[in-house]
Amino acid sequence: MHLFLMIGLVAFSILAVLSRDLLRSAISLAVASVFLALIFFRMNAVYAGVFEVSVVAGLITVLFITAIALTRSEGGVTESKRHLFIFPLFFAALAVIDLLVMKKLLGRIPAMVSSESGTFGQVLWNQRTFDLVGQIGVIFAGVLAVLALFRPGRSHTGDAPLAGGQSDAKGDHHE
Amino acid sequence: MIFLFIIVPLLLASLLPLLGKISKRFLPDLLASATMLFLLVLSVLWAKPLIASGGVIQQAFWFGAPLNIRLLLDGFSLFMLFTISLISFAVTLYSINYMEHYGAKANYYALLLVMIAGMNGLVLCSDLFNIYLFLEVAAVASYALVAFGQGPDELEASFKYLMLSAVASAFILLSIAIIFGLTGGVSFGTVAQGLTTLNIKYVVGFCSALFLAGFGLKAAIVPFHSWLPDAHPSAPAPISAMLSGVLIKVSGVYAMMRVFLNVFGMTPALTTVLTVLGVVSIFVGALAALGQNDIKRMLAYSSISQIGYVVLGFGIGTPLGIIGGLFHLFNHALFKSLLFLNAGAVEQSTGTRSLDKMGGLAKRMPLTAATSAVGSLAIAGIPPLNGFWSKLLIIIALVQAKMYVLAVLAVLGSVVTLWYYLVLQHQAFFGKLNENWQAVREAPFWMSAATVLLALLCIVTGLVFPFVIHSWLQPAADVLGKGITVAMNFIGF
Amino acid sequence: MNNLWLLNMGFVALLVGTGLYCLLSMRNTVKLLIGIEIIAKGVTLALISSGYARNRILLAQCLAITVIVVDVAVIATALAIIININRHTKSLDVRKLTRLKG
Repeated sequence: MHLFLMIGLVAFSILAVLSRDLLRSAISLAVASVFLALIFFRMNAVYAGVFEVSVVAGLITVLFITAIALTRSEGGVTESKRHLFIFPLFFAALAVIDLLVMKKLLGRIPAMVSSESGTFGQVLWNQRTFDLVGQIGVIFAGVLAVLALFRPGRSHTGDAPLAGGQSDAKGDHHE
Repeated sequence: MIFLFIIVPLLLASLLPLLGKISKRFLPDLLASATMLFLLVLSVLWAKPLIASGGVIQQAFWFGAPLNIRLLLDGFSLFMLFTISLISFAVTLYSINYMEHYGAKANYYALLLVMIAGMNGLVLCSDLFNIYLFLEVAAVASYALVAFGQGPDELEASFKYLMLSAVASAFILLSIAIIFGLTGGVSFGTVAQGLTTLNIKYVVGFCSALFLAGFGLKAAIVPFHSWLPDAHPSAPAPISAMLSGVLIKVSGVYAMMRVFLNVFGMTPALTTVLTVLGVVSIFVGALAALGQNDIKRMLAYSSISQIGYVVLGFGIGTPLGIIGGLFHLFNHALFKSLLFLNAGAVEQSTGTRSLDKMGGLAKRMPLTAATSAVGSLAIAGIPPLNGFWSKLLIIIALVQAKMYVLAVLAVLGSVVTLWYYLVLQHQAFFGKLNENWQAVREAPFWMSAATVLLALLCIVTGLVFPFVIHSWLQPAADVLGKGITVAMNFIGF
Repeated sequence: MNNLWLLNMGFVALLVGTGLYCLLSMRNTVKLLIGIEIIAKGVTLALISSGYARNRILLAQCLAITVIVVDVAVIATALAIIININRHTKSLDVRKLTRLKG
């Protein structure tokens, strides 16, 4: 069962890469996320699984589809068909190397089992509090980035001649 | 409280978009500059005595209730905090005038503050995963700042930077995941102890290689340097100064050295790789800078070259080499920011970045020309300015470690550096005044103030370098010299 | 338990390899972002499987959740940049981004 889920995950990721239509890529990515979430559930990582489904398969897919829709009117870029031939070769080579390396490492990793106590809430809020500060920081960064990039205004290019040394007649400062 | 270094910028960043609606210019300028000054004073006066007896682990408090955040402050962290605060203060002063014609100043200051909070968090953490997390905070803020002008050049540069940087972060995280699988923990102490009892060299070597690739890309070491010559010139000048002067050092060199020296332990293989990559970076950067016409692109390639010196110094591994590397890191932050800020002043006054079109600007912009001359001489290694001493230390360390070939190459690199900076100075500032620039004026007050401050620091650091080494660099070098024992002290943490 | 960890890491390698192939060879900028997403999936899987192998699944989940949050911020910023580029060049083709040279 575990193997089936893993193969499903990899298969849908490959489909997302090779698919020539952007929307199909985004949907394949979402399905791959669902497989990943199922894998997480089976490994007792319930919270991570829920997060994966709701955020990656949900929010990120919505972001992708919004971006695809916003950039659709101009002509799309389709990939060349040769990827359908090159990729299987590449993947086969990768899989072979992977198998050989894993075989070599079999049994060489020492077992070091730790113990863990507490509930998930305790671990998240008590032990990883600094992570939460970081998450707040990165969310600020993302929100401010989107605000900055979508502000209405003129563009500032590097080489526009501004003779006279004064900063510009180019814009309207209503300040 | 050490936690202030992270929480104050974040708080102000959250308030600025609201404040920006009330007062578009004055209040954001004032608050941002005051915050940077506060952080700078904090790092010098208050935090420095804390580490007098070695590293400190401090628990953070939030209105009296203890939070479970323990921050690590030792010589190396404090040294980086000081560098970050100093450069950000100068950059904030400069931005008061420069960012006028970009608009949305409150948003800009907010992003800058988030980036600084991320960098401060990175140097204060004691956990591998937190290094990755705060690295990403600073990186996301920097993607937006590079693209801030919304012009096609900037957007393209930011996109390429984002792609490469995201791959680097993924490599770093993959390495952290593998180490987590091998040792069962991610904090420095657990990992250091786990790795000493392990016996699989290849997997640990693979993790080191992933870290080298990831942090190396953030630090723009050859062969991972290709994003820097595109990203740094297109960004607004104060952001170029922040990126070249601080970000590549904090997220690249600091993180790499912290992980390699205090957690993994330096091995001969690492020494060889770092010294070789350092020397290659010196030459690739210097030779590419020679042929450049765009002033900021030349400075960007020069950054690659000088970071090569820093990595070379660290790679040697001896105490003198580490001190040389740290000193050059600080000096490069000073003079590269100075040079980028000056390039921005020139670009704003003349409207162009290409050296062919400039000429004789010293007659119209004397202050900018003077500070730029100080910066160029410092970076080229002319005594008694600061660059000379740091390069000398690195070269002496190379000779002491019997790496004579590398020492000769380092000296050659310095000669090439001198050459292209002389070209830059001559083409931009000296020579005959181009008729187009007859009506050009000197840079506005705050921009000049920032560059004069940095130039004075270059001169002063060069003159009193023994004091600088003893009081700031030695504690940092000691921390790095102690190796894994630093991390081992944090077990059970 | 360790062999299961190795098996999972094998699949992680396949995912990361697929993502890297996508980054190296695709022309559409949105496809490049999908490549980054696939690599992020691989790394999240690596984190959780490491936690499972070492009986520290709670810590691993905290790390994985943080990674997903960071990923959202990066993807949002990247899409904002791509939409802005599209306004200028009217295309999503990476080959058209050749203004910066040297």
